[in-house]
Amino acid sequence: MTALRYTGVSVGYQGSPVLTGVNLALRAGRRLALVGPNGAGKSTLIRSVVGLAEVLGGTAQVFGRSPERGRELCGYVPQAGDLDADFPVTAGQVVLMGRYRRIGWFRPTRAADRRAARDALDRVGLADHAGRRYGVLSGGQRQRVLLARALAAEPRMLLLDEPFNGVDAVSQEAILAVLRDLTAAGTALMLSTHDLRLAREVADEACLVNGRQWAAGPPSEVLSDATLREAYAP
Amino acid sequence: MIEPFTVPFMGRALAEIALLALICGPVGVFVLVRRLSFVSDALTHTVFPGVVVGFLAGGADGIFLGALVAGLLTAVVLTVLTRGGAVTDDASTAVLLTAMFSLGVVLVSRRSSYTSDLTTFLFGRLLTVTTQQIAETAALAAVILGLLAVGARALLFRAFDPVAAAAAGYRTFWLDLWLNVLVALVVVAAVRAVGTILVVALLIVPAAAARLVTDRPAVLALLGTGLILAAGYAGLLISWHASIGYGIALTSASTVVLLLVAAYLVLLPAGRLR
Repeated sequence: MTALRYTGVSVGYQGSPVLTGVNLALRAGRRLALVGPNGAGKSTLIRSVVGLAEVLGGTAQVFGRSPERGRELCGYVPQAGDLDADFPVTAGQVVLMGRYRRIGWFRPTRAADRRAARDALDRVGLADHAGRRYGVLSGGQRQRVLLARALAAEPRMLLLDEPFNGVDAVSQEAILAVLRDLTAAGTALMLSTHDLRLAREVADEACLVNGRQWAAGPPSEVLSDATLREAYAP
Repeated sequence: MIEPFTVPFMGRALAEIALLALICGPVGVFVLVRRLSFVSDALTHTVFPGVVVGFLAGGADGIFLGALVAGLLTAVVLTVLTRGGAVTDDASTAVLLTAMFSLGVVLVSRRSSYTSDLTTFLFGRLLTVTTQQIAETAALAAVILGLLAVGARALLFRAFDPVAAAAAGYRTFWLDLWLNVLVALVVVAAVRAVGTILVVALLIVPAAAARLVTDRPAVLALLGTGLILAAGYAGLLISWHASIGYGIALTSASTVVLLLVAAYLVLLPAGRLR
C-alpha cells in the first residue's frame, strides 16, 4: 500500500512556492527522513501532506486521495517548542486530543477513548505523568506527549516535524524505539531533521531538499558528502 | 443573610447573576486560554450602538434584539479581521471598538435624557431586572451552554495547538467564529443587568483568578462560576445593607465586580507559591 505519492509537486503558501520538484513515494512500514538546512521547505512539505500548505503544482496523493481527504489517516506531530507552556492542560488531556476526531462532535468521551490515550502515553514511557501540566514537562517529555497524542488517533502514516529538536538523550531513545515499533507494525513514517547522523540511523529512505528536491533514495546515497555539499551550497 | 433576597427585586437580581455565572465561568476559560480579553472588550463596546439603536426603536424591550444583532455582526467582523494570524490584529480591533462605541455615544446623545440613559447602558441595572429578562437570559444561557458542550473539545484543541487541530481536520475559521459568537451571546445576555462595560469583568476576572489555583480547564470553569456566584451574592448583600442600613448608594453590579477583583488579588499570592 502506498501511503504517499508526490509527482512533480510544488508546495508553498498563498500561491508562492517554498519547495518545488518533489517526487516521492512512501510505502507502508517505511521510514523517510526529510533532510535540508533551515528554511529548505521541510516543514512546508510535511504540512502539505495534511492540507496545511498548498500543493501548487503536480499531483499529491495521500493514501490515494487528496491531502484534505487523506489526512484523516495521518498523525501529525508538531515541534513541542512552538506551543504555549503556560496553557492550563495536563499531559493526559493533550493526548486525549488525539481522539477528538474519532469521538466526533456529539458523543461524550468514553472509557475506551481514555484507555487509548493512557496506552499511548504508556507507549512513550510517560504513563505516570498523565496528571502533570504539559508546560512543566521537559522539552523531550513534551515531544513524547505530542507523539502520544498522534498515536492515540491510530494513524497509518505518522508525520513528525523536527522531533529531536531540544530533546534529551532519554527522550530521543524513547521516541526512536516507538518509531521502530510503529513501522515494524506497518505504519509509514515521514520525519524532518537537520541532524544527518540521526537521519542515517532512523531512516531507510531519505529526501534531500533545499528550495527544490535535490535527491531521494537510500540514505547512503542521498546523504553522501558530494550530494550534501551541492544541496547546502548557497 | 437570606432575608434581603426574599424581597422580589433582590431575588430576581440574584437569579440573574446566577444565570450569568453559569455561562461566564465556562466561556471565560476559553477567553483566557485564547487570550481574547481584548477581543471580548471590543465586543462589549461594539454591542453598545446596538443597545442604543434597539432602545431608540423599541424602548427597553428593544435593547435585547439590538444587542443581539450588533453582537453577532461584530463576532463575524472580528473573526474575519483576525483571520489567519496567530496573534490578534490589535489595531484593527481597536479601530472597530472605538468606531462603534463613538457611534453609540453619538446616537444616545441625541436624547434629552442622555446622561441617565448612557449610565444605564454602560453599567446596567441589576436591581430592576424583570422576570421576562430572566427568562430571556435563561434561554440564551441554554443556547450558550449547548453550543459550548458540543464545541468545547474542538475549541480546546484549537486553543492549545491550532496547527495540529487544523491537521486533524478542524476548520480554524469556523471554530474562531464559534467562540466569538459565544462571547457575543454572553455579552448580550449580561448587558442589561451589568452594562456593556462591566460584563467584560465577568468574563475575564473569574477565569484569571481561578487560573492562579488550578491547571485544569474543567476546574477553571467550575471555579469561575463559583466565584461569580459568591461575588454576586455577597455584592448584592453588601449594597443592600449599605443603602438600607447606612444610606450609602452602592451600585450592586460594580460591587460584584469589585469583589471579583478582590478575589483575584487574594488568590494572587497562591499563584506565586505554586
